[in-house]
Amino acid sequence: MNRREFLKQGAALGAAATLGTLGAPRPVQAQRKTGTVRVWGEPGPYAGVAVEGMNEWAKANAPGLTFTVETLSWTDVYPKLMTDLAAGRPASCISVESPIAFQLMAEGLLEPVDDVIDRIGRGRLIPGAKWEYWGAWKGRQYVVPAHHQSHLLVIRTDVLKEAGITTSPEKWNWNDLLSAARTIKEKTKVFGMCIALGRTIATDYYLSGLLHSAGSRMFDVRNNFQVAFDSPASIETFDFVSELYPSMPPGALGYTFLDVVDSMATGQSGMVFYWGRVFGRAAEVNPKVFETMEAYQHAAHPKTGKRLNWNDFQGWLIPKANNPYIAEVKEALAYYLTHKDWPLRYVHSLVPNVSPIFQDVAQDPRLTTHPFFQTKRRTIFEYYVEALKNASNSGNELLEGINPLAGIVHGRGILAQGIQKVLIDKWSSKNAVKWVAAELEQVRREHIRLLV
Amino acid sequence: MTLHPGVHGPAARGGAVGLPAFAAPRRGLRLSDRQVGILFMLPFAAVAAAFIVWPVTEAVRLAFYTKHPFSPALTFIGLDNFRYIFGDPVFWAALRQAVIWTISSTVLQSVIGVGLALLLHQAVRGINVFRGLLLFPYMVPTVVIALVWRWMFNPEFGIVNASLHRLGLIRENVYWFSDPQWAMASVILLNVWKFTPFVVICVLARLQTIPVDLYDAARVDGASAWQRFRDITLPQLKTVLAVVVVFRTIWTFNKFEEIYLLTRGGPGTSTFNLAVYAFEQATANLKLGAAAATGVVILALLFGGSAFYLRLVGRQEE
Amino acid sequence: MRYETRQRLRLVAVYATLVVVTVVICFPLVWALVSSVRPNDEMLRLPPRLVPERVTAEHYAALLTGRSMYFEAAGGYRPKTSPPQHFLSWFFNSVVVSVGTTLISVGVSTLAAYSFTRFSFFGQRFISYFSLMGYMVPSIIFVFPLFLVMVPLGLTDRLPSLVLGYISITLPFSMWLMWAFFRGIPIEVEEAALIDGASRFQVFRQIVFPLALPGVIATSIFSFIVAWNDYLIARIFMNSISQLPLTVGVMHFFEGVHVDWGLMMAAAVLMTLPLSVLFMLVQRYLIVGFGAGAVKG
Repeated sequence: MNRREFLKQGAALGAAATLGTLGAPRPVQAQRKTGTVRVWGEPGPYAGVAVEGMNEWAKANAPGLTFTVETLSWTDVYPKLMTDLAAGRPASCISVESPIAFQLMAEGLLEPVDDVIDRIGRGRLIPGAKWEYWGAWKGRQYVVPAHHQSHLLVIRTDVLKEAGITTSPEKWNWNDLLSAARTIKEKTKVFGMCIALGRTIATDYYLSGLLHSAGSRMFDVRNNFQVAFDSPASIETFDFVSELYPSMPPGALGYTFLDVVDSMATGQSGMVFYWGRVFGRAAEVNPKVFETMEAYQHAAHPKTGKRLNWNDFQGWLIPKANNPYIAEVKEALAYYLTHKDWPLRYVHSLVPNVSPIFQDVAQDPRLTTHPFFQTKRRTIFEYYVEALKNASNSGNELLEGINPLAGIVHGRGILAQGIQKVLIDKWSSKNAVKWVAAELEQVRREHIRLLV
Repeated sequence: MTLHPGVHGPAARGGAVGLPAFAAPRRGLRLSDRQVGILFMLPFAAVAAAFIVWPVTEAVRLAFYTKHPFSPALTFIGLDNFRYIFGDPVFWAALRQAVIWTISSTVLQSVIGVGLALLLHQAVRGINVFRGLLLFPYMVPTVVIALVWRWMFNPEFGIVNASLHRLGLIRENVYWFSDPQWAMASVILLNVWKFTPFVVICVLARLQTIPVDLYDAARVDGASAWQRFRDITLPQLKTVLAVVVVFRTIWTFNKFEEIYLLTRGGPGTSTFNLAVYAFEQATANLKLGAAAATGVVILALLFGGSAFYLRLVGRQEE
Repeated sequence: MRYETRQRLRLVAVYATLVVVTVVICFPLVWALVSSVRPNDEMLRLPPRLVPERVTAEHYAALLTGRSMYFEAAGGYRPKTSPPQHFLSWFFNSVVVSVGTTLISVGVSTLAAYSFTRFSFFGQRFISYFSLMGYMVPSIIFVFPLFLVMVPLGLTDRLPSLVLGYISITLPFSMWLMWAFFRGIPIEVEEAALIDGASRFQVFRQIVFPLALPGVIATSIFSFIVAWNDYLIARIFMNSISQLPLTVGVMHFFEGVHVDWGLMMAAAVLMTLPLSVLFMLVQRYLIVGFGAGAVKG
C-alpha cells in the first residue's frame, strides 16, 4: 500500500468509527469524585497534550478532578514504578513503551481496557497495525494505544555527498552501511555513525532492531519462551556493532538517547539511528543541519533482507490496584481519543516522532499543515507509514508474539552490558553472547510464573 | 546527678570550680537538673529512634528477605542475598573501585586542603573575599556541578579539551567519561573539587588558634618556612587532620550522587562504588534485598573502619 | 630595605597564587554563569568559547515566567505543562524543606548536646557513638525503608516527607557538631549563675546559647546545605512535578525532552545564589565556630 492509498483508504472507516462514538452514553457516577489524577508520560510534549484533552473532559464531567502530567525520563520509569507500586500509590494512568507495559500486564497489575477500545472504535487502526501490538495478553487488551514511534536511519545528505557516497540508503545493506560509515569518517570531519552504547535502556533498543534483522531472538515465543539468544545471528550482530564502533564518537560508550540526538543536531555525526525527535531538535538548534537531514528505513541484513527497526508502540495503561480513578481515566482516555482535534494536536506536538495510529487522523487534511511537511514530507511518511511495516521490539520480537520478560531485561540493561563487554572489556562476541544468554536464562527462571 | 567532670574550657572564669549544682537555692516550681536533662534529650531521642534507628534496622532486616518489586510481599530467604552479591563479580569490582576512589580522593583533599588553608591563612587585605570564593565549591549542589562538568568535559564540545588542545598539552581528545581510567579520574576530580573546602575550613580554623609567638620564636631562632611548617604547624594540625581524614574517608566511601550524576557508574561498571551498586540492584534489577545486603556490607565496613580510627585518635590524644 | 622588598614580593606571590587558584577552582561556576546568558544557537558551537558573542536573558525569563521549553522553531501544538513553568515552585519547595530541616535538626541537637555535656546519663557513651555512627550511614541505605515508612503516614509525594528524610542525615551530624561546641564552652559561668539562683532554662537561654551561637550558625548552615543539595532522597520520595525541590526538578532539563543547557545553567545559577549569599554573610562564623568546636583542648 502506498502513501496515497494510506491517506485515502479508510476514510469511510474512520468516519464511521468517529460517528459511532458520538452517541456513546457517559456513566453518571464519574461526576462526583474530587482530587488529582496523576498521569505519567515520557519526556516530550505529547503526554501533556493528552492530559489537556483529559482535563477538557474533566471540566465538563467531573469538575472536582484535575489530571496532572508527570514526566518520567526513560531511566526513571523503573525506580518510580517500583517505589510507587510498593507504596501502594501508583499513578492512575501511565504511558510507557511496550516492553514495560507487557511486563506489568503479565504481572496482573493492569486493568483490562477492552471497553475503552470499543468506545474508540475497533476498526479505527491504520492498516498494518493491530491492537495486540500495544498490549494484549491471554485474550484481553490491557493497553490503550497512544501512538507508534520507530527509530530509523537518519543521514545528512551533505555529508554523504562530501564523502562521495552515491548509492541511495534505500538500497543499502549492512555492508553498505558499514562502508558508508567508514568512508564518512575518513573523508569528512564528522563521525560516520552514532548510536547509544551506554549502559542504559537506549542501547538495548538499538541492539534489538539489529538483532531482529539478523534473525536473532531473546526468547522463543513459540517454544515456551526458551532462551534462544545464543545463535550465530547474535554473534554476527555483536561483531557488526564492533566493526561500526570505530566510526562512532568514542564517547558513544556512555551515550543515551539525548546524546545521540545532539550528536546529529550539533553536527558531530553524519548518520544516526533515531526517532523523529531528532528532527525537531535540529530545527531548533541547528537549522543548517536540519535542512540536510533525511530518514530512511534501516539497511537490510545481507542474508535475511530484513530492515527491522525498534517501534515503541506507546500506549496508556491503567494500574488496577490502589487506583481510585479507573473509571474516570477510562472516560477521559476515550474522550481525548475520539474528539478529533486532540489526537491531531497530539501528533502535531512532536513531528515526526509521534506517528498517528488512527485512520481518521492519518487522513485528516490538517495533518500536513505542520511546517515540517514543507521540507520533510518524504521523511515524515517514512516514520508514519513505512516504519510500521518494518516494526519490531523486544517485547514482541518480529511481531510474532508477546513476551513479558523483555521489560525485565531492559531494566537490567542486559543487552547493553553484553555489547559493552565486547567494546570495553574486549571480550569476544561469542563469549559476550553466551554471557547474555546466561543472564536471560536467569531472568526466565526468576520470572517463570509470568509465563504460565 | 553530677556535673560532668572535665568539661572545663581553657579560659576558666571566676573562682568556683566543680561546685555541685544542687547547692543553689530554688524558688517556685523548678524542674530538677535531671529532669531538664532528660527533657532536653527527649526530642533528639524520639527523632533519632524514628528516623534513624528504625530505617537502618529495617534496611538490615530487608537484607534477609526478598521483596517482590511490584507487591508488598516479603519472603524470608536467609543469607541468599549475601550469597548473590558475593558471587557477583560486579560487587567485587565495585568494592575495589570504591577503595581506589576513597583513598585517592582523601589523600588529594587532605594535601590540597592543607595547602589552601595555609594560603588562606595569610593576613593580607581582602583575604575574606578569597576565602569566600575558594570555599564556594562546597555550597554548590552536586546536581549542578555534575551537569556543568558533563558539558565542560565533553570530549567534543567541552571547554576543557579545547583549552588543553590550545595549550598544546594534548593532541587527541581525552574521553573523560567513556574511558574507564579517565572516568575514575573525573569522578575523583569532582569529589576533590567539591569537598576540599571542608578540609580547608577545619584546618584553617585550627591554624587560627595556633599562637603566633611560636612562629616568631622559631623565626628568631632562624628556622626556615618549611621547618616552621614541619615542626610547629604540622604537629598542631595532627588532631584535626586525623578527624578530618576519618570523616572524609567515611563520607567519600559512601558517596552516591557525585558518581551517579556524573558517570552513572560507567562506562560499563568501571566507576561503581558500593552505593551505586546498591542503587542499581534496587532500581534496575528490582532486588531490594540485594541492595539491603550491600547496605549491610557498607555498614560493617564503616563500623570496622571507624572503630579503628577512633582508637587511633584516642591514642593520639593521650 | 631588603626586608621590605622581600615582604612586597611575598605579598605579590601570595596574591598571584590566590588569583590563579581561585580562577581554576571557580571556573566551572564562571562557565555556568557565562553560559546562562548564552543564546541557544551559540551553545554547542565548535570550538567552544568562554565569552559568547551575544548575551540573552531568555533562559532566566523562561525560568521565571514559565515559558515553554519545547521546540519553538518547530511549530505544532505546545501544551502548558512544560518544566520551566514549575521553577518557582521548585525554588519555594527547596526553601521550605531546607528551612524546616535546619530548624528541627539544629533545635533538637542543640538541646540534646547541652544536656549531654552538662549532665551525666545512663547510656551517654552509647548515644555519642550512636551520633558518630548515624553520621556515617549513607542515605542509600535507608532511603527505601524510609520511603516505605512514609506510606502509612500518608506523606508520600509531600514536602514533610523530605524534611523527615533529611533529618535522618543532618541530625547525627548536628548532634556531633553541637556537642563539640558545647564541650568547648566553660562551665564556670553557668555554675556561677546557678549558684545565684538561676534555673537551668534561664542559664541555657541567657548564658550558654549566646556563647554557642557561632556553633549554632555553623551547624545551621551545614544542615541547610545538606537539605538544599540533596538529590537521592528527593528523587525517590517525590513524584509530582510541582512538588519537586530544585535538585530533582533541574534534572528535567537534562533528561527531559532534550538537553537544555541554557535553562540548566540559568537554573544552576539561581540555585546556587541563595547559598552563596548566605555563606558570604556568615563565613566568619563558620571558621571561628569550627575552630572552637572541632578541636578538643
